[in-house]
Amino acid sequence: MEAVTFAPTLLVAAIALPALLAPVVLALGRAIGARTGYLALLAPVVSVVLLSIVVAGWEPGTVATASISWVPTLGINLTFILDGISIFYGFIIGGIGVLVCWYALAYFDAEKKNLGWFYACLLLFMSSMLGAVFSNNLLSLFVFWEITGIASFLLIGFTHEDPEARTGARRALLVTVATGLCLMTGFIMLGQLAGTYELTAIISGGGEWMKSAGLLAPVTLLMIMLGAFGKSAQFPFHFWLPGAMAAPTPVSTYLHSATMVKLGVFLTARMFPVFHELPLWLPLASGVGFFTMLLGAWMALRSHDLKAILAYSTVSQLGFLIAYYGLGSAQGVRYDLVHVISHVFYKGSLFMMAGIVDHATGTRDLRRLGGLGAKMPLTAAAALVGVASLAAMPLTTGFISKEIMLATLVEFAGSHRVLGILFLSGVVLSATLTVAFALRLFLHAFRGPMPASVHFHAPSLLLQIPPLLLASLALGFGIVPGQLGALLDNLRVPYLHEPGHHPLHLWHGFNVALLLSAVAIGAGIFLYRHLQRRQWNMPAIPAPLRFDEYFDRGVDGLGKAAKKLTLTLRADWPPAYLPIVIGTLLIIFFSAVLTHLDQLAGMRDLPWDIDPWRCLVGLLVTIGLIAVLRLRRWTAQLIALSVTGFFLTFYFVLYRAPDLAMTQILVESASVVLVLVLVARFSTGSRAGTRFEFRWNKRQILRAILSIGMGVMTTLLVLFADLNRHPDPVGPHMLQASQPLAHGTNAVNTILVDFRAFDTMGEITVLLIAALAGMGLLVRYRRSKRHDGHADAYAPPGFLMGRRKEP
Amino acid sequence: MIRTPDSFLLRACIQLVFLLVNIVSVYLLFRGHNLPGGGFIAGLMTGTSCILLGLARGWNVLRHQLPVDPLRLAISGVTLALVTGLLPVVVGQQFLTQYMWHLHHVPLIGELHIGTPLLFDVGVFLLVSGMTVKLITVLVRSTAGLPPFSREEHQLYASVMEEPIEDIEKKHPEKKRKETEDAD
Repeated sequence: MEAVTFAPTLLVAAIALPALLAPVVLALGRAIGARTGYLALLAPVVSVVLLSIVVAGWEPGTVATASISWVPTLGINLTFILDGISIFYGFIIGGIGVLVCWYALAYFDAEKKNLGWFYACLLLFMSSMLGAVFSNNLLSLFVFWEITGIASFLLIGFTHEDPEARTGARRALLVTVATGLCLMTGFIMLGQLAGTYELTAIISGGGEWMKSAGLLAPVTLLMIMLGAFGKSAQFPFHFWLPGAMAAPTPVSTYLHSATMVKLGVFLTARMFPVFHELPLWLPLASGVGFFTMLLGAWMALRSHDLKAILAYSTVSQLGFLIAYYGLGSAQGVRYDLVHVISHVFYKGSLFMMAGIVDHATGTRDLRRLGGLGAKMPLTAAAALVGVASLAAMPLTTGFISKEIMLATLVEFAGSHRVLGILFLSGVVLSATLTVAFALRLFLHAFRGPMPASVHFHAPSLLLQIPPLLLASLALGFGIVPGQLGALLDNLRVPYLHEPGHHPLHLWHGFNVALLLSAVAIGAGIFLYRHLQRRQWNMPAIPAPLRFDEYFDRGVDGLGKAAKKLTLTLRADWPPAYLPIVIGTLLIIFFSAVLTHLDQLAGMRDLPWDIDPWRCLVGLLVTIGLIAVLRLRRWTAQLIALSVTGFFLTFYFVLYRAPDLAMTQILVESASVVLVLVLVARFSTGSRAGTRFEFRWNKRQILRAILSIGMGVMTTLLVLFADLNRHPDPVGPHMLQASQPLAHGTNAVNTILVDFRAFDTMGEITVLLIAALAGMGLLVRYRRSKRHDGHADAYAPPGFLMGRRKEP
Repeated sequence: MIRTPDSFLLRACIQLVFLLVNIVSVYLLFRGHNLPGGGFIAGLMTGTSCILLGLARGWNVLRHQLPVDPLRLAISGVTLALVTGLLPVVVGQQFLTQYMWHLHHVPLIGELHIGTPLLFDVGVFLLVSGMTVKLITVLVRSTAGLPPFSREEHQLYASVMEEPIEDIEKKHPEKKRKETEDAD
């Protein structure tokens, strides 16, 4: 690839603008209510304009890159790529963004209060999505990829009062994040193997790395494709997409049909030049893709909810899109963009139609709908075109796309007989199913009598225009596909697309593809009539296919396993787990000592001089410890223990570390006060305690051994450290640099707030997070009064045993 | 329910000690850059003084006596430290670059030596003191038979819909099943 660069300013502006507008929208949301939408609409419009300016300076067929350094020390740069496929997706994101914001304006009533939040999430999503498709660096692509997942989670959970929305959001997040982690693993492996994280560099490197990678190459591919499958709801992750339909319809249209779920397809396209030579590529992409296509169509056929049907059909079509890349030859693929754009046209309009139907009638259940065609002819027209395109009827883009796919598959079957026939029959079968449910979608909603239970109120014209626009595109380009072909020809990407021109035609002549299309349509109509007679009564999805249940059970199981593990380890009872921890530590340490026995001999040469002050402090600490063992009352023991702590501060004084001494004193005082306050809650009986007596039983001996072992270990560690002093310790440097560099004479403080201020920053942040997490846990602690009907039930279990008697 | 030592002497003493400790604590905070002291130590001191106050005056009283929620104090501390670090970035310097000014003729004080590390240290101070007070208050309140959180705090830290961890499974064994049936 020739190195063409471009100035990224405008592109970065186009990507960042929605995210920058998001806080504004959020802040103004409450004040201006439903009118927030007009403000939000600004973002995609301006982004599209900016993109158009960027693209105007781009020469079709080239790959241009631009770089902004971000974390240069880690090799993470924000590199942007401007090529056919990124521009293609960029315009889809921007264009559908405009339509969806427009649609949302009319869709939401004024009663929704937190619309600011909704639009802010939508804009955040838009930015991250644009960032993902224009990223040239794998790591920044991953970061943007994950932000889209978070935005999707927030948007699905927008109506979080609804438990269904909460479950759907959580499921979507868990699936996409878990597979996102696979993707990250894959990206890191790819980056390490190929030696660079820049996509263009990996592709133009020509796959030299793959020859030496051996088994690592297919593993990398598998990891990356798992990420793509998760995002694009491919089998076995297909179940999250229907659950995501709890989101408001504009979100379903935008994220869960037109853009976000296409990230997996996009990634497959990006990875095609890298991996298509691997033998795993074809079975993985096409096998999973076609299987998902069939599964999705079958699931769609048995759903009754408009959005559920559309969701499963999206799953099915995404499988179709990914599978197409699996069939690509060494020269590249030809018509992938046709498939994507065709799906965007009809699925976008169909989702919007579902929202309008929901809005107008209050239900999306096909069994309770009918006769809407006469009431809202505009929506019905959009739906008719959308459904026709879905069912791949002639004169729509769906037909063109399906014809090409069948032709590709027929050609493919020539070289791979078994797989080809398998794939072909899968596609024809799912096309049949699609025709059946597409027919039902239209006929049951728009034809026939309207049930009496429907309370119809007409949707506004504003709401109906976006789906009409999309449908007219599907129809227009379906009639004159040559224009679409010429347009997409400009977006050819080297290494991904086959060189040369591939015009689109409406009429391909009488061939096998046309025959198969006709068979599918005929069989679909037959299937529709058959099911119509059976009133669409179908048994529930068999248990082995309920992947959502598997998933839920897995998540539940994880929680239960963690609980069981915690109980087994007795995390609430230190005498149970401390011996294990200390024992392991001792074994590791003493086995290390055994291998370094020669160093023990060197200890004789250490300066063994005796300082009377330190001996005195040591003696006092020891006395305190003996007192802890010998004293009877808990309070007395605790005070003795804190006395040893206070004596320790003398060591810091002796070593001239006043800051440490002060800290030690303060921590010691705070903890003593705290512990005493807590202990004061115990009953006088338990506070009296028992005198410690050593008995010659197994447990006591083990504890004695462990304690002595810890003591020996600590002593030896100090001695070893003394033996292996660093020739150039860092301390003097800090002391010297403290005054000239940090303008302070207290080196401890200059280290904390200046030299290592970044560490301090991290530490205080961790402290804050720990405190917040603690609050979150404490607040969820059982507050029922079940324990003993007493207000003391607020206390943790250990503190209930002996309540002080009221005077 | 909660019992505090009923002694005027103790109350008065602790009130006085509280004042003294905090004067010392602020002094330590400001001199920290050149002499022993600093944000962490000062924060611990202030935190401990609040515990003493709580012991003497009762934990309920303590909550009303504090002008702000300690946790808010802790959050603002981290924010202050972060802002101190980020300000140089705006000017084009590296994250956490420190600035120093030497003022020669300040009324009443004379020579003054001031810099952004002090702001950072104040951030640490706020965090440590806020967190100490908050965590100890919550713990002590829960062991003293009071609900660990007041109602407002409860709404702040937990969502309205959340229930005690143990109760979720018992209450809604059918919850999960219902949702998946929609697709059929």
